[in-house]
Amino acid sequence: MSDEKPSGEPGVEFVFRGTGLTKVYRSGETEVHALREVDLAIVPGEMVVLLGPSGSGKSTLLNIIGGLDRPTDGQLWYRDLELTRLDDRHLTEFRRDRVGFIFQFYNLIPSLTAEENVRLVTDIAKDPMDAREALDMVGLADRAQHYPAQLSGGEQQRVAVARAIAKRPGVLLCDEPTGALDSRTGMRVLETLCRANSELGTTVVIITHNRGIGKMAHRVLHFLDGRIAEVEANDQRISASEIQW
Amino acid sequence: MVRALDRKLLRELWRIRGQVLAIAVVLAAAVATFVLSMGVYRSLVETRDAYYARNGFADLFVAMTRAPRSVTQRIAAIPGVERAEGTINQYSTLELPRKDMPVRALVSSVEEGGATLLNHVTLREGRMPRPGNAGEVVIDEAFARANLLRPGSTLYALIYGTRQRLVVVGVGLSPDHIYSIAPGDLIPDSERFGILWMGRRALEAATDRTEAINAIALKLGRGAVHADVIRQVDHILEPYGGTGAYGREDHMSHAFLDNELAQLDAMNRVIPPVFLLVSTFLVYIVLGRIIRTERTQIGLLKAFGYTNREIGWHYLKFALAVAVFATILGYAAGVSMGRSMTRLYAEYFQFPFLRYTISADVFVTAGGLSLASATLGALGGVRSAIGLAPAVAMSPPSPPSYRTGATERLGQWAGFSAVGQMIIRHIARWPGRSAITVTGIALSLGLLFSTMQFMDASRTMLDSFFFRAQRQDLTVTFIEPRNQSALLELAQIPGVLRVEGTRAIPVVMASGNRRERTAIESTEPGSLLAAHIDRSGEEIAMPAAGLMLSRQLADQLEVGAGNEVYVELLGGKRTITALPVASIVEEFVGARAYASPDTVERIAADAAPAGSALLQIDPAARRNVLIQLKDMPAVLSVTERDAALLKFQEMIDENIFTMLFFYIAFASAIAVGVVYNSARILFSEREHELATLRVLGYHRREVGMILVGEIALLVIAAIPVGCVAGYWLAQVMTAMFSSDLFRLPFAPNRATYGYASLIVSLAAIATVAIVARRVGQLDMIAVLKAREA
Repeated sequence: MSDEKPSGEPGVEFVFRGTGLTKVYRSGETEVHALREVDLAIVPGEMVVLLGPSGSGKSTLLNIIGGLDRPTDGQLWYRDLELTRLDDRHLTEFRRDRVGFIFQFYNLIPSLTAEENVRLVTDIAKDPMDAREALDMVGLADRAQHYPAQLSGGEQQRVAVARAIAKRPGVLLCDEPTGALDSRTGMRVLETLCRANSELGTTVVIITHNRGIGKMAHRVLHFLDGRIAEVEANDQRISASEIQW
Repeated sequence: MVRALDRKLLRELWRIRGQVLAIAVVLAAAVATFVLSMGVYRSLVETRDAYYARNGFADLFVAMTRAPRSVTQRIAAIPGVERAEGTINQYSTLELPRKDMPVRALVSSVEEGGATLLNHVTLREGRMPRPGNAGEVVIDEAFARANLLRPGSTLYALIYGTRQRLVVVGVGLSPDHIYSIAPGDLIPDSERFGILWMGRRALEAATDRTEAINAIALKLGRGAVHADVIRQVDHILEPYGGTGAYGREDHMSHAFLDNELAQLDAMNRVIPPVFLLVSTFLVYIVLGRIIRTERTQIGLLKAFGYTNREIGWHYLKFALAVAVFATILGYAAGVSMGRSMTRLYAEYFQFPFLRYTISADVFVTAGGLSLASATLGALGGVRSAIGLAPAVAMSPPSPPSYRTGATERLGQWAGFSAVGQMIIRHIARWPGRSAITVTGIALSLGLLFSTMQFMDASRTMLDSFFFRAQRQDLTVTFIEPRNQSALLELAQIPGVLRVEGTRAIPVVMASGNRRERTAIESTEPGSLLAAHIDRSGEEIAMPAAGLMLSRQLADQLEVGAGNEVYVELLGGKRTITALPVASIVEEFVGARAYASPDTVERIAADAAPAGSALLQIDPAARRNVLIQLKDMPAVLSVTERDAALLKFQEMIDENIFTMLFFYIAFASAIAVGVVYNSARILFSEREHELATLRVLGYHRREVGMILVGEIALLVIAAIPVGCVAGYWLAQVMTAMFSSDLFRLPFAPNRATYGYASLIVSLAAIATVAIVARRVGQLDMIAVLKAREA
């Protein structure tokens, strides 16, 4: 795979820029420091993988940059929008217009067909692609009328990817997207994510336990105890099919 | 020590306390209405029976023109008669200081020595009239209160044409005037009508009836056959103008009280079952949901060695706990509402004591019904908990599988949004529960509608009776039937615009083995002041020959137009005439009959004099006309149509609005209970999906719309069902509430469907909005990590 740097829009330096991001959860008497003064910068078109053991803070960070959660301290910008100053309503707008989510357990609506699950997003997005087109991109055009219960796990996850990319998001946030899949189907999902990244220029952030997936990314952020312990830049990226599971 | 499983039960109850409360309110409404109506019913019956027994309420009553007092002994000698007492009953006009409206009274004789044992007067204040003190009277309590009279007060009465000064010496009550109503009136008006008890000798002197009587009350012994006694009494009194003996069922006061009791009984048979049914449904769906979510725990408990019985009992206890809570709530509400309803009754029914007491069996029955309804609702859930195999139970349930069916195709064809599809497919996915929600809301609407339409019924009745049928301003009743000259005399009073004579003759009508006491009324041919209105609101003409019967009377006699009835004149000449029924008129008050003056003359076999007159007056001359009428010796009483109308409206306002308030509250309780539980279950089932939508960028309001939308669709589906149920329930209730005295019209206004639907919809939407607020508390992050529940 190529070693080119992420392209990005001219004049915009960062998609995400965060300084001193801290998250403290209080559960009863005890305080849990999920994030400790993390500084972050992600550029447009970049594919970033977050690696680290459970509880190291990567999911907390993903939730914060996705507008699902707020840091206890610190500042965070999405381009020139300061996310840390937004209220619930505007954070919802942000998610609706900019962010595509992909979850480990797909989170499809069981009562809707594949196409309708995608339409759930295209119904409310500002400049969506056609739901069929999105399903076509993930290779599921012929399964459009199937309900989640009639699809395999991999197919379901690809529907979730189609749902995420259909709104043409500025950023795709994926929390263990292949966690529940076998290697072959996992690979197909990753290929789709790579296509979105290279063909649509979408910034992609992936949480994984699989070090191999890190080799696909421009950069890998290693998390430990709520901090970014190490940043690893890949000069040579591999394709999804080359990943060792 | 509280067992762990019981502790779990308590915590579970606390966790879903909102839902528990919502079910409990509906169930409590069932208990409350049962305790209320049954309690009031029993209290009234017990009070009445005790009062009747204590004060010797007679079994038979008979009136006559005039008979020697000695006839009482002949009557008393009839086998089966335990006691007979002769009295004088005389209507009179009263003059009260500072009152220009006509006030009437029924003056009744009592033995000065206190020997009156039948329909005995209970003194509330003062004493009974003393022998030799001519002008002493005891007055009835309601009349005393309404006119601020007390022992020592004086008033003037025109008795039998003579103006007399009376002194009030006591205030009392008697069991034959529990409900005292002036002849021709619909409802009591204590300000304008009262009962006066006067010493026998004084009243004999005042009415020129020395050693004579015009009424007899009879007490019968056990086992006496009423019909036999009546026949013999009528035979003895025939020469004295006896108007036919009748039993308690035809006694005005008793019949009105009976009518009220029948309505309470009807209420008790219709309303609590509706609430019980809805409670059963609610327990069924809520417990069903709990058992589905606790599936794994049930498996675990079974794996630990808990028996099916223990687990079944555990979940049954959930339902029973709700029922016990509801029952206590219902007792409290029922008792307090019963007290205020009893107070309301005490205003219309004159009892010396009216205590609201509820016997233990009412509580026991109400509690039993409450527990039974909850248990019935729990059975389905308990059975499914028992039926779960431990190994199966511990693995998660298979995911809901949807496939393209009719609903899906319909939604796709209609071009619903993805959210719209989610709503309709979820409804179709749980048809049973959706049906229960629709049924519950429909029942709430039906109940509300069927109570609200009583206002329409009252309005129709008011309109028909006061505005369309009665066009006179005043009704003047003569002391005894007068001829044409009396009418001319009335017409000469300045301000009187029109006078029409009317006459009523007491008769017994018979057809087959059916016999009814009634009166045949006649008005002048071409009358402008009295009209007969049929069901469609059209005026129908008096038949030239034959009788026109009110629907009520026709139904009682089981006759229709074209049939023949036998008419036996009561009092005077006891003629028997066979007459055809010419037409039936849809009237709402009483069982009446009408005929042309010619027909009445034929039955009475005399030239028709006028018993009363209908007057149309110049409103500006009202006061003057009333004063003139007061001074006419031939005039017994004057009824003002507008005053009666006002009184009737007051009663409607007071009673129906109180009732309506209760029923809006009750019906809303059902709507709220059903919708709250449905919405909570919906929310818990869809929590994961709703959170996913929030993550995908749906606003709280948009996500809330999924809940609101589903409930709104069910409400929309429930409205036509509820209107049909209401229409049906209203008909049943109208029929049950109708008696020999009143026949309620069934004439719901279209707007009433709208109002009832609006109230139920608002209650439903407000409730679902409360549940929808939980969307704001959805944990979006948890959803990212969790496998779908």
